[in-house]
Amino acid sequence: MVLVGAASLAHAGARDGPASAPEHFRVARAIFEKNCASCHGARGEGAPHWEHRDAKGELPPPPLDAGGHAWKHADGMLYRLVEAGWRDPFNKTERLTMPAFGGKLSPQQIRAIIGYLKTLWTPAQRRFQLGESRREPFPPDARPSGRQGKSGGMQPRN
Amino acid sequence: MSRPSLRVARVAGSGADWVEQVWRAVVTVLERAGGAQLRRGACALLVGLLAAHGAANAQPPHPSRAAVVGLAFDAGTRTIFKATAENLYRSGDEGRTWTAVTLPPAAARGRIAAVAVSAGNKPALYVAGPGMGVLRSDDDGRAWTSRSKGLPSDNNIVALAAHAAQPGTVYVDVAGHGIFRSMDGGARWKLMDRGPRERIVRFIHTNMPGSMQTGWLFAATAKGVSRAMDCFCGWHSAGALGHAARAVAYDPSRPQDIYAATDDALFLSTNGGERWARINAPAPAVSALVVTPSGELYAGTGDGVLFRSADRGRTWKRTGA
Repeated sequence: MVLVGAASLAHAGARDGPASAPEHFRVARAIFEKNCASCHGARGEGAPHWEHRDAKGELPPPPLDAGGHAWKHADGMLYRLVEAGWRDPFNKTERLTMPAFGGKLSPQQIRAIIGYLKTLWTPAQRRFQLGESRREPFPPDARPSGRQGKSGGMQPRN
Repeated sequence: MSRPSLRVARVAGSGADWVEQVWRAVVTVLERAGGAQLRRGACALLVGLLAAHGAANAQPPHPSRAAVVGLAFDAGTRTIFKATAENLYRSGDEGRTWTAVTLPPAAARGRIAAVAVSAGNKPALYVAGPGMGVLRSDDDGRAWTSRSKGLPSDNNIVALAAHAAQPGTVYVDVAGHGIFRSMDGGARWKLMDRGPRERIVRFIHTNMPGSMQTGWLFAATAKGVSRAMDCFCGWHSAGALGHAARAVAYDPSRPQDIYAATDDALFLSTNGGERWARINAPAPAVSALVVTPSGELYAGTGDGVLFRSADRGRTWKRTGA
């Protein structure tokens, strides 16, 4: 079902049309809840004490909502992090700090997640992130042909 | 005159005003007196004043004994820049001799807190500080332009750092506001972060690997050294230095090698600030550090002396100033 939803996003994506936005939002939130919420929280609120290393010497998952720093990152960087993962070089374990989802999610699904995150940010944060994304947009794989908008966003819910 | 170099250069701006005021006074007196002899005398007086003013400007720079607040290195020309709160100097011979760099008169309204050289083949030279804002020169310090537009109007800049690899990217820390980033050489600024909890004394950008974006920021603070990726994803204490840090630098040829100076010691971390080892310090109060791409380490002190080490701080030689 998630794949079907993502396929529809590939067509509609960030078109931001009032009629299609609720469906995009629902599908994107479903992808987020299935893949991201277990670590970053149901509403993207992050793990407790996320700013400090835990007992294993790892950085806990940060918030993805307005209280975190995801809004400072360009679309291209957010995509890269979700797709390829990332390991904090100061981790005391060998695990990836952020797991890679490139083998599990399609480019359109990753883009949908990022579009959903934007609904969790303030208008000022979205403007900031839009400016960052002009420098580093989504990679070509995640840029749908045709009707999608530039921002990868959807109608905010806050 | 103890600090004739840039201080005199700065006076040149206000000195012109002073000469103009004298001239106006002389003209006023002449208009009232009307005598030819008086006119000749006044002209001679003015010529004398201008000559004295020019002679003061022509004095060679002396080594300053003021605390070194910043060091920067231009790898292309192998020029080292040394800043005190009031003056900026350059040396093209590893610190043996120094030449004053003239700043615009507007710089006299504040003091220098930092000097940096941008990356790239045609590097820009930056100085910044409280009251003066950000100044940039693209011709090795001959002409300067203000790059403060878009920054808080109080201009209370306490630190500046150039990106290790991107020529146009520069960061400033503005007291009470946070860290601003420009990606176009200071033409536009964006507030990125409030910075670490502790007040920043100096900070640098390194291209040490492992960042989610392009590199890392290291800040010398009242509690040691703090570290953040340049995506501004949060500041963390870098190791347990355990002392207030006065200066921080990194080795461009080994970006994970970070040097830090405290009030009475010098430290080296070879793993990006996780662990620090005390190394030989050239003097008790190192206040500024810079490392050249070939690994030469320079340390400026609180009493204006500059030392150079070619072996990563094992041995030191005092330079000419």
